[in-house]
Amino acid sequence: MIITTRLSLLALLVLLPLASGCGPTPPASFRLNMVEAISPSAEKDSISAEQALTPAQEKQVATILAAMFGTPDTPTCLPETGLDPAKLVLAAGPVRSDIVGRKNGLYREHCVHCHGITGDGMGPTAAFLNPYPRDYRPGVFKFKSTERASKPTHADLYRVLHEGLAGSSMPSFALLSPVQIDALVEYVKYLSMRGETELALMRYYFELDEEDEGKLPETREFLVEEILEPIAEKWASAEDQEIEVPEMPEDLDLAASIAKGRELFHGDKANCVKCHGVTALGDGQANDYDDWSKNIYKIEEKLKTLADSEPDSEERQWIAEFERVLAGDALTPRTIPPRNLRQGIYRGGRRPLDLYYRIHAGINGAPMPAAKGTVAPEDIWHIVNYIRSLPYDFDGELGADRAVAAQPGPAGRLVATQED
Amino acid sequence: MPAFPRSLILALPAVMVWSAASAADWGTLKGRFVVNGDVSDPAALTIDKDVEVCGKHKLVNEEVVVAEDKGVANVVVFVRDKKVTVKPELEAAAKEAKPVLDNLNCRFEPHVLFVQAGQELVIKNSDPVGHNSNIATVKNPPSNNLIPAGGEVTATFGSDEAVPAQVTCNIHPWMKGWIVVRDNPYAAVSGPDGSFEIADLPAEKLELQFWHEKAGYIGEMTIDGKKETAKRGRMKLEIEPGENDLGEIVLDAGLFK
Repeated sequence: MIITTRLSLLALLVLLPLASGCGPTPPASFRLNMVEAISPSAEKDSISAEQALTPAQEKQVATILAAMFGTPDTPTCLPETGLDPAKLVLAAGPVRSDIVGRKNGLYREHCVHCHGITGDGMGPTAAFLNPYPRDYRPGVFKFKSTERASKPTHADLYRVLHEGLAGSSMPSFALLSPVQIDALVEYVKYLSMRGETELALMRYYFELDEEDEGKLPETREFLVEEILEPIAEKWASAEDQEIEVPEMPEDLDLAASIAKGRELFHGDKANCVKCHGVTALGDGQANDYDDWSKNIYKIEEKLKTLADSEPDSEERQWIAEFERVLAGDALTPRTIPPRNLRQGIYRGGRRPLDLYYRIHAGINGAPMPAAKGTVAPEDIWHIVNYIRSLPYDFDGELGADRAVAAQPGPAGRLVATQED
Repeated sequence: MPAFPRSLILALPAVMVWSAASAADWGTLKGRFVVNGDVSDPAALTIDKDVEVCGKHKLVNEEVVVAEDKGVANVVVFVRDKKVTVKPELEAAAKEAKPVLDNLNCRFEPHVLFVQAGQELVIKNSDPVGHNSNIATVKNPPSNNLIPAGGEVTATFGSDEAVPAQVTCNIHPWMKGWIVVRDNPYAAVSGPDGSFEIADLPAEKLELQFWHEKAGYIGEMTIDGKKETAKRGRMKLEIEPGENDLGEIVLDAGLFK
């Protein structure tokens, strides 16, 4: 028995390189969103075995998606998406060149290692990065000039690609040509719309009537008008959702503005202090998650509560299946620390305008709430000025809060240590 | 109208039957949810933010709220039928009403709130500390606004939600509440004693749906001593004019583990 197992293992080892080395590479394919397929509810606290999509339903979603969006090698887009197919061709497919000096397959050359072929943020390197690469499928983006729930504009995504995201693993792609960056931005939107359509389809199973017999209608009215168009419309209207930013007053007394900003930061209205901490070191709130990780965290917590379910029950099988899915199709949830404002590193850009956007709209997908409507625009500018002063402020809260005691160090020298 | 023989109604043209039903026949649905076993006592929450304000309220986990006499609070009942006939008076009243979600004593009041699509929801903060209300809607744009002490913000949902939306406060991570958004006014949340009532339903066959935050869509319940299965929490009921009392609706304690 042992011998045969070993033999077959040996055979496998010999055959593996052959299998991967010879013959044509199989065409790339999109992966189904398995976490959502097994728990399609938008809220993960009350997920249960009976929610899970059946294999037939999973197949239906995959078939609809293939019909609407094509494959990673040959993406297609309905006119309703508003996407430019020529740009998608440049970005999609294997890396190749058809015209001298023009390269296609930019996404696979530059992005796929981290963001994955499906845009699920689960490329081969993803698990080693902190923060994790963005999963485009929910269509939620953090760093943008638009209102909280709105999509980013084309220019917002262009900026992220061009500048990179400071303090994260997202590099700058400033060496690519504007045409190439444009094509990649279009492809990111394409992957997002595809992922959002997939989510919408999976969530729709909750709303089916008995007469539908567990199948989504495959009519144009349903697929295009009810599912795709609302998604595409949000992308198309992003430019109209840009945050109106009043000019910072020209005759502003900077010292007074910083003082006002400091007051607001610690005050009960803007309440920045609760998460970013008295010291602004980002140590006020240590156990919150972003929306991507929160989903997985909630699922894990739910599965724990079901640990005592009957062996061989439907629930038990669902849990086992879910554990397999989590191991292969999800990244370990991580808490999201509030930004340490003493470092002067801001993911979404360090311009005063960028900080204004972040405070006004909060950060979509992250715990950071919107100050809009609660904090007046001129007060947001004061907070911006205060925040920008923090990396250069060595007294203030940092000095006051962190009691530093002088202690003798090696060779009798005095070193400062922090008292906890 | 009640004097009309049933056979005669059936003989009338469909349009007339519809107008007759919408004009006069309305029924009230009521019942009381009880649990048939032991549910563990709600755990005390760890209050580690604004302790001087929030710490004095002895807050507990409100996922499962069961009364002394086994009544189950916060069970949501709503009519699923998208094209249900709505009593005109209710339509008018819904436009006037302003449902309120309060941040009170570092918890959401009520814990589960029903809002009809199109209504203006007022989210206020009666606490002396600042809160934020992070509303995880799916079909409607999600929002997360800061609400200062004594302040309020408003929100309007254009569309219904397939599952109730969770509301959380990122400043006070223990705070959790729910907003149920439906297209019609026919929804109720069971009170502290487990009882609920939906008035002025059209007297016809309606599909109801039952939901609880821990149990999800409630698939099994015992009504009048009879075990009923409700796939995905759905159940079709013939509403009779007048009172329709389901009596005690017994839920298995296993649902709330």
